[in-house]
Amino acid sequence: MAHSHSKQPKPAGPKSKTIGLLAQFDDPDSLVAACERARDAGYEKFDAYSPFPVHGIDPAMGIRRTRLPFFVLAIGLTGCLVALAMQYYTNAMDWTKIFPGYAFYISGKPLEISPANIPVTFEVIILSSAFATFFGMWIFNRLPQFANPLHRIDRFRRATNDRFFLMVNADDSKYDANRTRQQFEEWGATAIENVDMDLTDQEIPKFFKLAGIVGLFLLLVPPVMIFRAYGSTNRAPRLHVVPDMDWQDKYKAQQTSPNIGTDKEPVYLYADDRAMRAPVAGTIARGDLQEDDRYYRGYEPGTLPPPAQPVAADGSSASFVSTSGPSAQDSAPAAQDPATTGQYPGEPDWIETVPSPFVVSETAIARGKQRFEIYCSVCHGYDGNGNGLVNKRALALAATGQAQWTTAKSLHDPTVKVQPIGRIFDTISNGRNSMGPYKAQIPVEDRWAIALYVKALQETGIQPAAGAAPPAAPQQ
Amino acid sequence: MATVDLTSLDNTIEDGKHRAPLVLGGMDYSDVTDAVAGVWEKKQPAIWWPIFGLAVSLTMLFGALIMHLFFTGVGVWGNNNPTYWAFDIVNFVFWVGIGHAGTLISAILFLFRQHWRTSINRAAEAMTIFAVVCAATFPGIHIGRIWVFYWLFPVPTEHLAMWPNFRSPLLWDVFAVGTYATTSLLFWYMGMVPDLATFRDRSKSKIGQFVYGLLSLGWTGSARNWHRYEMAYTILAALATPLVLSVHTVVSFDFAVSQLPGWHTTIFPPYFVAGAIFSGFAMVVTLLVPVRKLYGLENLITIRHLENMNKIIMATGLMVGTAYSIELFIAAYSGVASEQFAFYNRAFGNFGWAYFIMFTCNVFIPQLFWFKWCRTTPWFMVIVSIFVNIGMWFERFVIIMALCRDFIPGSWFYYRPTWVDLMMLIGSFGLFFTLFLLFCRYLPVIAMSEVKNVIPHADHGHEGGHGHEGGHPATSH
Ligand code: HEC
Repeated sequence: MAHSHSKQPKPAGPKSKTIGLLAQFDDPDSLVAACERARDAGYEKFDAYSPFPVHGIDPAMGIRRTRLPFFVLAIGLTGCLVALAMQYYTNAMDWTKIFPGYAFYISGKPLEISPANIPVTFEVIILSSAFATFFGMWIFNRLPQFANPLHRIDRFRRATNDRFFLMVNADDSKYDANRTRQQFEEWGATAIENVDMDLTDQEIPKFFKLAGIVGLFLLLVPPVMIFRAYGSTNRAPRLHVVPDMDWQDKYKAQQTSPNIGTDKEPVYLYADDRAMRAPVAGTIARGDLQEDDRYYRGYEPGTLPPPAQPVAADGSSASFVSTSGPSAQDSAPAAQDPATTGQYPGEPDWIETVPSPFVVSETAIARGKQRFEIYCSVCHGYDGNGNGLVNKRALALAATGQAQWTTAKSLHDPTVKVQPIGRIFDTISNGRNSMGPYKAQIPVEDRWAIALYVKALQETGIQPAAGAAPPAAPQQ
Repeated sequence: MATVDLTSLDNTIEDGKHRAPLVLGGMDYSDVTDAVAGVWEKKQPAIWWPIFGLAVSLTMLFGALIMHLFFTGVGVWGNNNPTYWAFDIVNFVFWVGIGHAGTLISAILFLFRQHWRTSINRAAEAMTIFAVVCAATFPGIHIGRIWVFYWLFPVPTEHLAMWPNFRSPLLWDVFAVGTYATTSLLFWYMGMVPDLATFRDRSKSKIGQFVYGLLSLGWTGSARNWHRYEMAYTILAALATPLVLSVHTVVSFDFAVSQLPGWHTTIFPPYFVAGAIFSGFAMVVTLLVPVRKLYGLENLITIRHLENMNKIIMATGLMVGTAYSIELFIAAYSGVASEQFAFYNRAFGNFGWAYFIMFTCNVFIPQLFWFKWCRTTPWFMVIVSIFVNIGMWFERFVIIMALCRDFIPGSWFYYRPTWVDLMMLIGSFGLFFTLFLLFCRYLPVIAMSEVKNVIPHADHGHEGGHGHEGGHPATSH
């Protein structure tokens, strides 16, 4: 610190330069009076120094009111806008690609700027204004300035204690060493002193150059290292400073159960070696109760026959028999003829109309059409006639012996046409013969919508494609 | 410097025509400097070391317990379903509240031109900052996964794609307390720069000259600098005033915005702010009475200062008492059974004893200050203010223990703090006192430049002096 050397004898000759004349006063009132007279004497570059803000000195010296408040106002308003924009961006917008916002309705408060955004906006205004005031004040005052010739003057130390000073700068147009000194005496100064700037202060010490060059080279090291790392390959995993939630101690579905023994003699936490646990017997997971047979399974409650023994041998999930199949005759004689009613023996009573929470409407059919075109048309074709692209391609492959394929049945086939909607629903849910189940992909409501659409499609009068059932003749 | 002979003046004279002076003993400018710098220059009173040793040990205990918490988990505390919030939030609200007196003294009393604030504002502001440090610690360590504490702030994270919820009172807290701590620090430091320059100019050691030289930023006391400085001080005071009111308002939103009977009330913000000022002033009195005695600052921190503070304690104590009664009335008048139960339970339930402590300490004991002897006798006022601090801690405890009896009687639970809870509360006091003792030891405890401004000087012998006048130097004549 500059002032720490103040005990040294003042360097003389060309090594120092007078930058002003300093007068000491013993009380604030003489300082104010002196300032007034300095101003009257035409001095412009002068300043007063005091241990506390002296009353009335601003008009005496002609200090103009600072523009600091306007600066603070500008920054405060900017802070307000920034705070609002930040909150809107992060809490109401989520379509940006990088760092997208998080637009979620939480505790029913609107996403847009609302009273709930006031506190943060307010705090940001205050914070930015406080920073503006604090830093603005120092910048306007040109502080910090650690090297100041005044700090070399012993007497001046009392400027922060109990003495009052006036300094006229040497570069003031009215400044004249002798005349100014005389004036100071007239104004009642108790001490007068030259303020010299030690010019050697401004010389850069020799070792600085060396240190600077070394420092510069050292500064180059990090970018070079980064550049090197950037250009080379590395097999080690990426550095993960904060893991956030990327790795967690947990077992995922289908993992083996944790080994609580040693590697040699493993002891598994669960005897069956699985990390997953089956539900406790007799319990049902929340939301899986699905009591309503009509809605969830498409048949009249209580009509599900006991597990079918007669035809289980072929492995099919239900005792479905093709129209010409023999099993229909094997089981108890049916009350109705499946060919006309679509009610097959060994199967529950399929419901004929859509079940209750589902409501038939134009939107429901439109939804069914849309879902049908996503899930079913690939095989059954848009018109339901079994001419979807997958079907065509599979048949072509089957013809050359590259694949086995059962033609997707035409939905306009008389045997399908007569089926109650409940059975169509069941076909979608659990599959039928060689058609796979869609229960896992399609939610219940959509399955009903598709079934409804299939029924609507059947009403259009489209004729089943001729010869749809037998595999097509070789087409090459 | 001959001044009006003030030695004969005594604080008890308060006849309107004749106000007690703010500085006694006929001190002049250099006397003030000597007295305040003496605190730092002279050897510390013998008692400083044992107190400091105790405070530092408690701080280390606090640190060790925080580590214990980090490595073991929040389960080391007694918080448990349904009392998810317990000591941590009680301590948080308690400490934030303590801080409020500092800002009130430095900002609000400044704007109201209450010149008596000059002798006590520095210490009170320091107290604010240290209290906010203690306060911020508690929610800070309660967040669980401490290594991702930065999620509290709107920091863009690449793989998380999440932001804080700006519509939540808990986030408002982060911003309010953060802004409060920052602004108080700036205000405190800025106010201290001229005094740090005094220390720089008096320091005899090289280290002292270097450190204080750095901290005082080359301050010379130039009139042009003073002009902008005073403007900045006024602006900061004007900013800190609504800020301090907002901070405890936002803290009270943590409760008031929730949907719990006993918490969901509109009276909370004003009642919390009054309580904060109440407890803060009690803490200032608790600290300053020993400080003025130990360092011989009786002429600067006079009985008049202490008495004024005690009057504020009494006034805010009455406000808090009113709020308690209104709460009870509203509950009774609301006709809402769960609201009525919440308050009945507060007063006569399992934590009724805490309610009793709260009421006694906050409402009845401060009434002693109606007696002049009580509010002008230093040792006595310390006792009262310690009671107030206890009472205010229990006030927050009572509010939060509402959680113990929630909507489902099956989950009712009697909260018991663990030893970690208790030691952490004590440890936070250790931290607070460590910081405060270091402040007394190394920094100007009284704003010298401001006190010099209120000393009546020979030519303008009017009493009370003229304080900072911001940008309007000519107004007080
Ligand atoms: C991967 C191709 C494929 C898809 C996709 C497909 N099916 Fe099928 N579907 C078949 C095949 C093959 C059959 C004939 C099964 C048999 O008789 O072995 C069939 C048969 C049917 C039958 C007649 C069942 C019976 O009673 O004989 C219906 C009804 C039906 N599908 C409806 C649908 C609906 C609705 C969808 C959309 C959810 C769908 N299918 C999706 C291949 C498919």
